[in-house]
Amino acid sequence: MISVWHFLSVAAVLFALGLIGFLTRRNLITMFLSAELMIQGVVLNLLAFARFHANLSGQAFGLFVIAVAACEAGLAMALIIAMYRRTKSLDSSVWQNLRETGVPATIDPDALIQPPLELADDPKLPAAGKKPQEVAGV
Amino acid sequence: MNLLAATNSGNAIGQLAAAVILGVVAIHALLPRPKGRSIALGVFAGIAAVVVIVSWIVRQFGQPSQGQVSLVLFWLFSGGAVLFSTIFIAQRNPARGAIAFAFVIVNVCGLFLLLAAPFLMAATIVIYAGAIIVTFLFVLMLSNAIGTSNENDRSREPLLGSLAGFSFLGLVLFALYQGSPTAAADALKSEYHLPAVTMTSTERTTLLTLAEHAGVVSIAATREEMLKTADGLRESYADLLGTSDSFTDELDLARTNRTMGERMAVRSDVQADAIKAQNLNLKRAVRKALNGLDNLSMKPEATAAEFKESTEDFAKLREETILLAARGELPARNVANLGYALYTDYLLAVEMAGTVLLIATIGAVSIAGRKEAMA
Repeated sequence: MISVWHFLSVAAVLFALGLIGFLTRRNLITMFLSAELMIQGVVLNLLAFARFHANLSGQAFGLFVIAVAACEAGLAMALIIAMYRRTKSLDSSVWQNLRETGVPATIDPDALIQPPLELADDPKLPAAGKKPQEVAGV
Repeated sequence: MNLLAATNSGNAIGQLAAAVILGVVAIHALLPRPKGRSIALGVFAGIAAVVVIVSWIVRQFGQPSQGQVSLVLFWLFSGGAVLFSTIFIAQRNPARGAIAFAFVIVNVCGLFLLLAAPFLMAATIVIYAGAIIVTFLFVLMLSNAIGTSNENDRSREPLLGSLAGFSFLGLVLFALYQGSPTAAADALKSEYHLPAVTMTSTERTTLLTLAEHAGVVSIAATREEMLKTADGLRESYADLLGTSDSFTDELDLARTNRTMGERMAVRSDVQADAIKAQNLNLKRAVRKALNGLDNLSMKPEATAAEFKESTEDFAKLREETILLAARGELPARNVANLGYALYTDYLLAVEMAGTVLLIATIGAVSIAGRKEAMA
């Protein structure tokens, strides 16, 4: 028998990692998956309490949380599509002009380091030797 | 495993703070950004944070289990979930992040199974298998795979973000610590284990034996056979439930049917009241069956109707005993009982969840639909 505290601790860790992902990452799809990670932590909590109290209410509630997560997934994907059509980018900072008044705009300090664009290995032709010379008088 | 065992238990908060700081360092070093990302430092600090937090959990809440199998499975699944979620939030490539998220889901489903929720495990795997494939499709469709980009290679305030997340984690764990049995020795007491409401295994065995005994009495064919088989039943029930006279019986009933104000004044829960009521039902069944038996023994020429009533009382007694023996455990037919609960107790909620899903589908279609097509 594992005690309820252990499951609550794991759920708290999962929720915190999802929270960090949601706060720091800028890709809309990664942010959406981070929210799903937080939901997993919450469902784990509900199931731990269902087991602790030995009734099925927690499991039923967990099922409803998953149903709401499915709704959220559908709406989030639709919103991501609509936003991508406008800006051609998944970056959430593109939308920072929607921020509160008085909050300074975020400026990215460092330039991105583009990796050197390496060409794929082209087939190498063998050395063809000297260019054939015209032989005079033939 | 317990590295900081030498420190006294007053240092629990200090150890928690150390874990939080190490976690902040780890995630801050791992989060993608153009300058200053250090995988080696992040991995090192991350491992240190995990070691400190595991030792903290073991010290505060005790070693999770006495059984080796569930112990190994618990650490495997929870470790896997934490590892893959760290990889997921630190991963620059969103497609690889989605794969790491799929592994998180698999590990969390393992934990669901440990929590006796097989239906939710299967449902989560099925739902997220679909959801992750769709996410994958979106990633491949929308993101540019070549080169670096703002959304994948920059983080928004990595230090403040990880500080916020880990401060939250520290606060939640501290709240758990405050509400929990603080010493590991207390955590080994059965009342803190899953499930909360326990009876000892000998008590459960006694109850089930008694139920069997009552069952044997209830199928007795003749009066003599019934009197013979019922021998010793009274003493066994008296040992288990205590001698029940009518005065304590009424007192129990008064406690069960308390008014709202009384319930709030005496700290108790619905679950406990239900168990009390069940206990009372069993006592009543015992009294009724044994009274019937006394009547039968005093009347040599009992009518068939009286005999039948007595057998029915014993059958009822057997049922009540089995019901009380099953208290504190989830039903063995977990999935069937969850379905039963969903379509009886939560029928309205199920309908509403279906409606919300339908509305969400319509909303998604109308949000994602092109304006030209709608005009």
